[in-house]
Amino acid sequence: MNRKQRDFYRWLKNVGSKVRDPPASGNRPSYLGSVKSSSDSAALKPFPANDKFVSQPVLSEEARERIWKSVMVTGLPLKAVSAQYGVDMRRVAAVIRLKAIENEWEASHKPMALPYAKAVLSMVPVADLRQSDQPFEAINDIPVHKYTQQQLFVPTSESRHFTRADAAKAFGEHILPPDEKMRIPELIQFERDIAEGVKPQEAQDNFVTAAARSEDELAAKESARVERDEARKLRIESGRFEFRFEKINVDSSGKDGRSRRGVGWRYGVPFNDRRRAVVKIPTKVE
Amino acid sequence: MVVKIRLARFGRTNSPFYNIVVAHARTARNSRPLEVIGTYDPIPKKDTYDESGKLHKDIKLDVTRARYWIGVGAQPSDTVWRLLSLVGILQPKYRPSAKTATTETTTAAGAGQG
Repeated sequence: MNRKQRDFYRWLKNVGSKVRDPPASGNRPSYLGSVKSSSDSAALKPFPANDKFVSQPVLSEEARERIWKSVMVTGLPLKAVSAQYGVDMRRVAAVIRLKAIENEWEASHKPMALPYAKAVLSMVPVADLRQSDQPFEAINDIPVHKYTQQQLFVPTSESRHFTRADAAKAFGEHILPPDEKMRIPELIQFERDIAEGVKPQEAQDNFVTAAARSEDELAAKESARVERDEARKLRIESGRFEFRFEKINVDSSGKDGRSRRGVGWRYGVPFNDRRRAVVKIPTKVE
Repeated sequence: MVVKIRLARFGRTNSPFYNIVVAHARTARNSRPLEVIGTYDPIPKKDTYDESGKLHKDIKLDVTRARYWIGVGAQPSDTVWRLLSLVGILQPKYRPSAKTATTETTTAAGAGQG
């Protein structure tokens, strides 16, 4: 046994024993980082030599079950559930979609890779989403437009009530104010209510109502779009296939007939489907 | 010169895609036509979340322009005739059997009005 090996075994006996036989630490795996330093951030670093690698927490089985129940059983709007648990709306939606698939598989007795799921969950920090927990992630982040990162001097009268909407206009005609960019703008009114001394329960109820209304509006808009698209289509059954005729307008190709909005293969313009360095993998499933 | 309504083959090898075009009869197939009045994708497709395995074909067509060109005497090719007869712009040329043809024309004509 050489010196390095001796050192290693000594390390394994003393400090390394924490990693070899980790104490049951609930939702956190024991990473090597926690051996090196006892700080909270070090506990999420599996590779002590790679300081930039921080393990991100995932939702536990119970948390996913709780989210699914709040939406599908209790019937809360997605926005309310997102705000309640501090989980991004897209993640809430994904949980519900995946849970639906899981339930479908369970019902049809399809085998599931449970040992794999268990193994993966034991290797990453897991969030249970209990009441006392910190929010899981930021839910109302807004994308920052490049135009809004400059300094602007906008002369305006003192008496004018200069709002965030005005500020957005000043940056550019197409720049939206943050209130319209955020995913859950109803939280603004909720915070205002709280600040004005409305009872928390009442403010919460108002928030849930507003969230439900906005989601209903979105659903109505979407179904109207589907209906409108369907109205433009003519379905004709002919034995083997259904022929779907979509009504179009030849004028959509513009005056010179070369507009991108026009229907069909375009004439006299290069077609880039074989061009190099252009991603041709489909980016969505339809 | 005779004006025809015909298909112009675009797409790639083994994946045809057609423009439904109005063009002079003696011009090349893929030359710039008088007008592109639609497209025809001959490859049957399935709906993503439909598990019945039913196939459909997608066609885009400016019905008004098609009617206009037929009205001024443009001559459709056989394939285009078949497509236009589905939406009730023309009478079907070939009838596989009298019974199916009559039902098809009535549904197609009824749907074509709307």
